[in-house]
Amino acid sequence: SSNEHKLNFKKSKEACLSYIQDALLQKQWKRAAEFLTCYVESLEKDYSREHIGPSEMIWRIGTEILWHHSQNRMKEFNCFMEQMKTLGVKRYLKVCLEHVFHLLCNGQIDEAYQNLSLAESWRFGEQTAIQDKEIKLIQAYRGLLDYCSWSKQKKILLEHGEDGFADLAVEQEMHGYFRKAAVNLKEIIKIPGVWDIFVKCYVDLLEFYGEHNEARQVLNEYAYNSKFPANPNAHVYLYQFLKRQGESKKSLISVLKILHDIVPSHELMIDFNTMLQKSKKRKKRQLGLEVIFAALDYAAWKENAKAWSCLARQVKQIVISEKHLDWIKQGWNSRKDWWPDFHFSHYLAKRNWQENKNLSYEKALVAGILLGKDCKYFKYVSHQGCKARLKRFRMLKKFVTRHNLVYLRIFG
Amino acid sequence: MEFPAALFPSYFTAGPPREEGGPAPVAGWGEHGQVLEAGPGRLQAQPAFVPRRGATGERWEAAEAAAVPVLLPSAGCWIPSPAPQDILYRSGLCRKLRAGKSGATLDFAKQLGHFFVDHPEDAFGSLGRLLHKNFYLGNAKLKRPARNSTIRMTALVKDIDRLEARRGCPRQHLASRLRWFSHLCRDWLFEVPLGLLADCLHEELAQQWSNLLFDDSLTGGALAWLPPEDGETPVGRLVYPGGQAMNHLYFQDVVLEELPHARGSPAEFELSGRIRQVAAARVDGQDFVGVRSDYHCGVWRVPGKTGAVPAPLQVIRTDVPASCLTVSPHLPGELSVCTQSGTVYLWSVETGLQQLRHDPQTMFFRDHSPWRWSDFTAHPRVLSCADRTGLQCLDARAPKRCHFDLFKVGEEAGCQQGERVVLPMYLGRAHPSQYLVTTQFSMYVLDERLPLVPVLKWAHMMKAPPLFAHLMPGKPGRSHKVLLGASRTQELLLLQYRDSFWGVSSGGSQSACQLVGTPQKLHSITGCLQHLPTQLPHHHHLLQQRLSAPAAGLAATLQEDGPRKSMLIFQLSEAGDVFCQRLIHKAAQLPAPPSRDEATTAPRSSPLFEAPASSPHGLGTAALRYRRWLRALSRAWREPPWHTWPPSLSQRRLFTRRDLEGPAGPSSLQKQVRQRLCQTMQE
Repeated sequence: SSNEHKLNFKKSKEACLSYIQDALLQKQWKRAAEFLTCYVESLEKDYSREHIGPSEMIWRIGTEILWHHSQNRMKEFNCFMEQMKTLGVKRYLKVCLEHVFHLLCNGQIDEAYQNLSLAESWRFGEQTAIQDKEIKLIQAYRGLLDYCSWSKQKKILLEHGEDGFADLAVEQEMHGYFRKAAVNLKEIIKIPGVWDIFVKCYVDLLEFYGEHNEARQVLNEYAYNSKFPANPNAHVYLYQFLKRQGESKKSLISVLKILHDIVPSHELMIDFNTMLQKSKKRKKRQLGLEVIFAALDYAAWKENAKAWSCLARQVKQIVISEKHLDWIKQGWNSRKDWWPDFHFSHYLAKRNWQENKNLSYEKALVAGILLGKDCKYFKYVSHQGCKARLKRFRMLKKFVTRHNLVYLRIFG
Repeated sequence: MEFPAALFPSYFTAGPPREEGGPAPVAGWGEHGQVLEAGPGRLQAQPAFVPRRGATGERWEAAEAAAVPVLLPSAGCWIPSPAPQDILYRSGLCRKLRAGKSGATLDFAKQLGHFFVDHPEDAFGSLGRLLHKNFYLGNAKLKRPARNSTIRMTALVKDIDRLEARRGCPRQHLASRLRWFSHLCRDWLFEVPLGLLADCLHEELAQQWSNLLFDDSLTGGALAWLPPEDGETPVGRLVYPGGQAMNHLYFQDVVLEELPHARGSPAEFELSGRIRQVAAARVDGQDFVGVRSDYHCGVWRVPGKTGAVPAPLQVIRTDVPASCLTVSPHLPGELSVCTQSGTVYLWSVETGLQQLRHDPQTMFFRDHSPWRWSDFTAHPRVLSCADRTGLQCLDARAPKRCHFDLFKVGEEAGCQQGERVVLPMYLGRAHPSQYLVTTQFSMYVLDERLPLVPVLKWAHMMKAPPLFAHLMPGKPGRSHKVLLGASRTQELLLLQYRDSFWGVSSGGSQSACQLVGTPQKLHSITGCLQHLPTQLPHHHHLLQQRLSAPAAGLAATLQEDGPRKSMLIFQLSEAGDVFCQRLIHKAAQLPAPPSRDEATTAPRSSPLFEAPASSPHGLGTAALRYRRWLRALSRAWREPPWHTWPPSLSQRRLFTRRDLEGPAGPSSLQKQVRQRLCQTMQE
């Protein structure tokens, strides 16, 4: 009966698909391609109502095979892609985008631009929400390519400018690219998302034409709009912009404070700490100590000699001046039960000494102050340092022994 | 580790997943996802772009045609887990009834019947003894005086047989005699009230069935590899469960050579429960090994020196089954434990247990699964907690106040409807702030500095959900390798990802995460069956059963011996077998001619048992290894004769000797049928 026929057809289709899958997972591209030519038949009798229909499967499998097996013959690939675009209306934009991505990765920027322009002008009935997103992305990538052309022209202009000969045509062309790029980039960065490259390019354009206020607005929106994900880069871009603009320390610090609250382990925390330490206000210096303590909590910072030297310097200052010893106590209280094992074990003392003398010096100083002169880490490193007749380490030993009373006063 | 200077573009929407989904067999192919302008490209005339997926990766090729056993099979036989046909009701009618409907019908009556037959004492003990004078088992007619107080059971049995023959007939009429008998004794004949017994049995059956569909107690896997210390002899250690009830823990020294082989006899510990998970981490040159069984968790310390004896440190007992145990990579002797009731503990060998959370509800939306998981993060005091709906991170110093959402099954990560978290894993050894989350459809890489938005997402297309994962960090500038493993189907998938794509040579700036190379399927244990020499039919059947036992663990190691790089992958099965396969790194080269490419990877022929020209002994080491393994296995089958299986081990197990005997010998019915067949053929 026809029902049975349908069932058998479905079964053989599934079997064929599993052969293809098997071949792909074992990188047998040729075998997969042979099976795929059989699978194409399934397009004719497509009764499925599955999430991914046969036409999408053919697009995906075919693309994957051609990536690996066509020896980079782009002509073949482009031809396949054109066929796939006509295969499913709903997927047209998606296939276009993927085609463009492939062209971009293979350095065919002009072809990619043409494809983007074509895709942008495509209309079919009412747009679904997904298609709306895809068309915005297509526009944004076109904006990005316009930006690339713009910056190429800028380079030419600047080189010629040095010769004292301004080319009006180049300048005009450049302005044209600017307008095209700005319109498209501006649109996408209004929608919640991660748009790092688009934001960067847009801000670069605005800065070049002196529209600093708009650039600042864009960056503020990108960093502080709660509908956007908590992207550390948004804060970094704002900070870098403000720094370029020569803004006051106060506004820089307030940007970094927010970054510190969301990502205490961000690499800019060293800059933040240095900035705070230079401050005259007591509160800021205290925050500086907290920032560097918090950064060193993270596994990624364990062997960061710069961070350890920041902490060592500040702790040393406090100990010498004997003012604000309570700051150290506060920072240490929530860490005293696990920092000794995490940072100051005998094993680490040995390894740090072997791998990085600088690091072990800074760490030993901190360990000596926080844990006293009997701490394993300090003892091992100062002993090794003295044995190697390094003056620095002898001074360190003297310093810690002299200030051991302070240790006893804080923690004793 | 610096945060990437620019991330791949993506939309961000909040809310429940909108995309309708389902298993999609090819969803992971043919997509670049997004592209990003690569930094140094700016200096050139043309901007350069890199894709999120599809850049070239490293080439790894299998050294052997199949996975090879590492250890000899343990003595004592293995009892296979129940198969669907053991607990499902199968008949023509049932199939018709079910057509169009999903869901299975449990064969409840059969199992209850087995219970009565196999445990008559427990079922009818006291009344049976009281009444045995009143039941007559002979065929003769009963005489008058006796008839007053005695029933002839043979008639009743005949009725039952007749009923059995008409099973499934919609117009069956109960024989009146049977109805009368059951009406009369249903309330008092049974030792355990029938209703209660039936409830318990049904619950157990439903449990067994759901375990057959998806057994999450194995999550994380029960195999661990403790690598050798740097610069020492290439002797590592395998930690795995064994024994009939999988309640023995072994630490076995393994020498890494062409094919790894065991050295000396293993250190052995007997535990009081089936081992579900073995987790390990190295802190300050010492390995800490955590072992989870249903109601007990234990921790061992293994000193770094080869040959050192593993020392048990502590054991804890839980009231509800534990579902997770992970070992801290930051602090010695710290672990995290989750129980099915939704409690998360930080367990320190020195200070004991600290409860971080107790919440029987799931985090982001309601899900019935009691499974919970927890792992460590970049901050030694911050732990992640997971259930099927997502992941949260909590600070152990103030667990109620300080927490943030790391991953949510929702639009934020572009999930599909019905998607659920299967296994989260901290990727600290590759990148201190990255996390792997697998679901039944996709794998995600998350960066805890940018929560909720996956830095990488890929549809893995595996047939069963990946319960095991193993990370092999790559050296700077090279890709990290992740292995995903499924249990029931024994699938193994090798993936590569990279988190800095313009290399150390050109500045080494951190950049967005990329999936590189193509995913690669590795050998499964059962795949070796086609390469083995022909067996006797019943041996073949037993072998097949044994080799296709669900996988129970996964471990791997990278071996760099100068320019020669290889990867060793160990796979544990529920039968207690540990198999191993080696992949060899092929240095970057132009795309090889396809014919050669396929000749080396296609396992069409069976080169395993053919003598390679280079080997002086005739057979390759792999083949010799198989010989020995098969010989030991058949000895094990012979010793406790394989046709008399020992009684079931687990108290909870209702599957009886009769079920297990199934494959051993033809039943009387089969004999009859065979005779009749012979007759007809002769005629």
